[in-house]
Amino acid sequence: MIRQDLLELAARNMRNARLRNALTTMGIAVGVASLVAMLSLGIGLQGFANHQLMKSGMFQTVFVSSKQDVRNLDQNADAKPENSPALNDDARKQIAALPGVEEVVPEVRATAEVDYGSKTNFTLVAGLPPSARNEEALEKMKGRFFSSANADEVLVQLDFAKKLEKDPESVLGKNLTIRYAERQSGDSPGSFSIERKEKQFLVVGLLDAEPFGGMRMSSRARVFLPTQTAEDMNLMQPSDTQQLVRSTSGSRTYAMLTVRMKSAAYAEKVEESVKKMNYSAYSYLDATKSIRRFFAVLDMFLGIFGSLALAVASLAIVNTLVMAVLERRREIGIMKALGASDGDVKKLFFAEAATMGLIGGSLGVAIGWIIGRAINFGTNIYLQRMKMPAENLWTVPLWLVAGAIGFAVLVSILAGIYPAARAAKLDPVQALRYE
Amino acid sequence: MNEETDVLAIEARGASRYYTMGEATVRAVDNVSFTIGRGEFAALLGPSGSGKSTLLNLLAGLDRLTAGSIEVAGCDLSTMDSEALARYRRLTVGMIFQSFNLVPTMTLSDNIELPLRFAETPRSERQDRVMELLTNVGLAHRASHKPTELSGGEQQRAAIARALANRPSVLLADEPTGNLDSRNGQEVMTLLRELNEKMGVTVLMVTHDPALASRYARQSLHMADGKLVSTVEALR
Repeated sequence: MIRQDLLELAARNMRNARLRNALTTMGIAVGVASLVAMLSLGIGLQGFANHQLMKSGMFQTVFVSSKQDVRNLDQNADAKPENSPALNDDARKQIAALPGVEEVVPEVRATAEVDYGSKTNFTLVAGLPPSARNEEALEKMKGRFFSSANADEVLVQLDFAKKLEKDPESVLGKNLTIRYAERQSGDSPGSFSIERKEKQFLVVGLLDAEPFGGMRMSSRARVFLPTQTAEDMNLMQPSDTQQLVRSTSGSRTYAMLTVRMKSAAYAEKVEESVKKMNYSAYSYLDATKSIRRFFAVLDMFLGIFGSLALAVASLAIVNTLVMAVLERRREIGIMKALGASDGDVKKLFFAEAATMGLIGGSLGVAIGWIIGRAINFGTNIYLQRMKMPAENLWTVPLWLVAGAIGFAVLVSILAGIYPAARAAKLDPVQALRYE
Repeated sequence: MNEETDVLAIEARGASRYYTMGEATVRAVDNVSFTIGRGEFAALLGPSGSGKSTLLNLLAGLDRLTAGSIEVAGCDLSTMDSEALARYRRLTVGMIFQSFNLVPTMTLSDNIELPLRFAETPRSERQDRVMELLTNVGLAHRASHKPTELSGGEQQRAAIARALANRPSVLLADEPTGNLDSRNGQEVMTLLRELNEKMGVTVLMVTHDPALASRYARQSLHMADGKLVSTVEALR
């Protein structure tokens, strides 16, 4: 029999037992819906976590410090600080030349006095690299990012802005003056002098959340300036004195360099290369591995629970088709008498099972989508009440839609094996005698 | 193909069908041998339980021989597998039943299209063929009716049209008038004779009515207790 005839006959048979087939199909739909709702929640949570973590920039970042540093990041016992080279400009250039590296920025932060109108505040000032623009914390900022890498512009933390003005947003577009300590090269090697300086800045943006997801020291700063600007200002930093005491060399060294990759994919290689250069390096990649493992396990469990309903539905298919075989005994006998082969009869039942699977699966995806939507909606109402931003906890990717429908068809066909074999085995002589 | 099989539509040699019912063996058809020529109208007679329906099922390829052989239109049924038998039922023989066996949920034209579907007749040719078949049995105006909306005679005529859908050379009829009143029965028998005479279809009809057999059949095979007891050639 050709496929079109098979489908026509299957459709006719299903119409003839409309209620029964509709109920069974609904059973499949509910099964698929639970599977889709569970998996899409798992995928959504994973996506949510990934989004949060990726946006924090953590995984594109490797922190490099010299092993000479007291804040040595490498806790390895056999780390030999005395062999580690100084983290100077040469090292910075070397690291910047590694494949995949987007920028290498020093951590610049210093205490400074900020004059705004008649108010004077003592606070932490820090450099913020251009790449920070893409961070999640800056997604919800008011105003704009720095116009260039060395602009005389600042971003101000919202809390700090509240100290300056009743309406924090009114600081945007106003000037403030930063009074800071400038480091100047000394007369003899290893020495420097410090001078008080002032500089005017334009407030261009207001930050609500903390950059780098609060993962870095600079996040405690209240005022941010472009890293390049901060470097050019030669801000006197706490690490400078440490360096002076140890008097490694006359050249300038960095306490820590933050290496930004074009994507997280480079992080592992860069971290390795930096370690080979005998610096301390740290990234959060190891943490993601266990997170990914956690989600794989979570998805598996959600999938298993979701599949349970589909397994129950598959029993309903077996039941429906076995009943159909009994009910259509005579018809099967007639079909065989008219020349239908065992294979034709079998295929007809498979076609019916597959049709139920296809319709049930499609319906189930739609229901699952609605359930997911509802979950999302409910969660967001809750989040809003908790004064937290809305999040998309639930995603139905295209592969899940196709996969769920395909899985429903597959399960239905598997459920059809026994009834179809039974129908095909039916003895036509007996079936035709049956009244 | 030799000359003998060329003129024979059906040839049974020692055809047997035994059932085991618990300990006992029931010899439903026991060592039956006969021949029916091409284009012949033959009747298979005998009381209930004589094995005539079982023999017809064997000839139709619906049941399997226990021993012996049956050849229909050159096909040796004893050597065919179930796939080949299905093909044989589809193309070589047509079958009609006492209880018509139309699919009650299908219209007449859908019922008649069924064997065309199994034979994978091109879809474009089917509607014409269905209408041609319905016209031949005088039911063109009933094409979209369900079997239950028709009289018994009309249902049996539709069943005959369906049996002939794939142009079989042999038509097997199991008590075709058994459920019909005499007028409708007459009509069906006339149609069968017409098909036999005009289209040269070999007809083998099971009946328990000797009068019907003698009126229409050239050859009557009498069965009792699974055995063929006599063969009568009508002199017409």
